[in-house]
Amino acid sequence: MGERETIGELLLARGISRRALLKYATYLASTMALPPMASSVMAEALAKARRQSVIWLSLQECTGCTESLTRSFSPTIEDMIFNLISLDYHETLQAVSGAAAEQARLAAMHDNKGKYVVVVDGSVSTRDGGVYAASAGKTNLQMLQETAQDALALICVGTCAAFGGVPHARPNPTGAVPVSDVIGGKPLINISGCPPIAEAMAGTIAYLITFNRLPDLDHLNRPKAYFGDSIHDRCYRRPFYDKGLFAKSFDDEGARKGWCLFELGCKGPVTHNACATLKWNGGVSFPIESGHGCLGCSEPNFWDQGGFYRPLSATTANPAAVIGGAAAAGVAVGVTSALLARRRKQQAAQQAAKEPQA
Amino acid sequence: MRARSNDMAAIPTGLAGGVLQEIAGRLADLARTGESAAIDLRSLPMTSTDLDELEHRLGRGEVAARLTLAGASELWETRYSGVWWVRHYGAGGRIAAERIEIAAVPEILVAHAADIAAAAARARCDLGGDASVTDMEPGIHG
Repeated sequence: MGERETIGELLLARGISRRALLKYATYLASTMALPPMASSVMAEALAKARRQSVIWLSLQECTGCTESLTRSFSPTIEDMIFNLISLDYHETLQAVSGAAAEQARLAAMHDNKGKYVVVVDGSVSTRDGGVYAASAGKTNLQMLQETAQDALALICVGTCAAFGGVPHARPNPTGAVPVSDVIGGKPLINISGCPPIAEAMAGTIAYLITFNRLPDLDHLNRPKAYFGDSIHDRCYRRPFYDKGLFAKSFDDEGARKGWCLFELGCKGPVTHNACATLKWNGGVSFPIESGHGCLGCSEPNFWDQGGFYRPLSATTANPAAVIGGAAAAGVAVGVTSALLARRRKQQAAQQAAKEPQA
Repeated sequence: MRARSNDMAAIPTGLAGGVLQEIAGRLADLARTGESAAIDLRSLPMTSTDLDELEHRLGRGEVAARLTLAGASELWETRYSGVWWVRHYGAGGRIAAERIEIAAVPEILVAHAADIAAAAARARCDLGGDASVTDMEPGIHG
C-alpha cells in the first residue's frame, strides 16, 4: 500500500470544495471552544494532513456509539469526519466478513504501524480468560492487546470502553473492565457517554489529525473541551435551581413550568459532558430539556449509583433540608461557576492560539 | 426569529449590547489596520432573545448569499459594512455554527487556490483540451 493521499487531495477527487472543509473546521473549532480565527489554520492543516487510519474494535457493546457517530439523514456538515479518516476496520460497517475482515485489520496494522488510531467501543471481558466475548477465534482481550500494540493512540468511545459501563454494573458476570485496565503505555483518550456525543468523537479525531497531539484531558482522560463543564453548569434550568424552584414530581406545576429536576434525581451537578450545549438528535434537545433528569451516563459507575430518581443529596441527609441549603447557596455558586467557566474558556482560547504554530 | 424550546430562552441578558461593543471595536481595527476578526456566537451564553436582539440591531445590508456545501449556509452583510453574519446549518436544519466576521469579505466566500486550479483544469477539459489538475499550479492565489 502506498502513502495515503492527503485530505485535500481526497476532497478534490470527490469534488468537495475547500469551502466545505473550512465550514467543517469552523464547526469543530466552535464545539471545541477554539478561537474563531483558528478555523482557517485548522482547515489548511487538515488539507495537508494524510487521512488517519482508524481501526475500530467493537467489544462488549450495543452499537449505540457507532449509531451516534454515523446517524445522519442527509449529507451534512457532520458527515465530513468520514473524509478525514480511513476507517480500515469496523465489524459493523465493513462489507467484508470472516477471514477477509481479519485480513483487513492485519493489513491496516502492518501498513500503518505506529501511526494508526484504535477506536474502541465496549468494555473488555476478563473473567475466565475473557471467553465471554470473542470473535474470529480470539477473545476481545486478545484482539485488543494485539491491535493496540503498534497503535499511535487509543480512543475509547462510550462509557463501556471508558469506564466499564453497563457490562461492568453489578454483578458484572463477565468481569468487564475499561480499556485502560488492560492496556498501558499508550496515549489513551476517553470519550464517555451512553452513547457519547458525535461532535466529541469527531472533534477529538480532527484535533489529533490537525495538531498531531492529544487535546487537553481531565483527570479521567476526557477532552476538557467537551467534558470541562458539568451539565449543571450549562443547563438552561440552572436559574430555577438558583432560585430554589424545583419540580417535585414529573406531572406537577413545577415540571410543567420547566423548573429544576434536582429533586427528581437529576445527576447534572456531578456529570461532565456537553449535552446541554451540543444537544442530541440534530440539536433538538437533551434529556433535561425533554423533562427527564440527567442519568450521569458519562461518569464512572453511573449504573450503580443508587437509583436514577434518587436525589444526589438523599444519601447524606434529609433531601428537603439539603435542597434548601443548596438553593440558598445556588445564587453565589451560580456567579462563581459562571466566572470559572469564563476563565476556563479564556485559558482554552489562549492555549489553542499557540497550537497552530506548534 | 429563533425557535424557543423553553421559557428561559426568552430572557434577555444584555449580552447583545456587549457583543455590539466588541464588534464596534473590531470594526475600528479593521478600518485602521485591515486586521480581520471573528466572534463565535455559539461560544457565548446568549439566549435566543439576545441573538434576536443582536440580529435586529445589526440589521441587513447590501449583500446576502446562500451556500450549498455539506449542508446549507447563509450569510449576509449587516448594515455596517465589513460586518458579516455567517450561519452554518447541520443535520435537520439546526444551526451548527454561527459567527460574526469582521472582514472585507467573509473567508468562506473566497475561492481557494486549490479549487481554482481544479476548476481551470476542468474548464480546459470541457472545452476539449487535455489539462490535468496537476498541470495547473496555484498562482497568485496560492
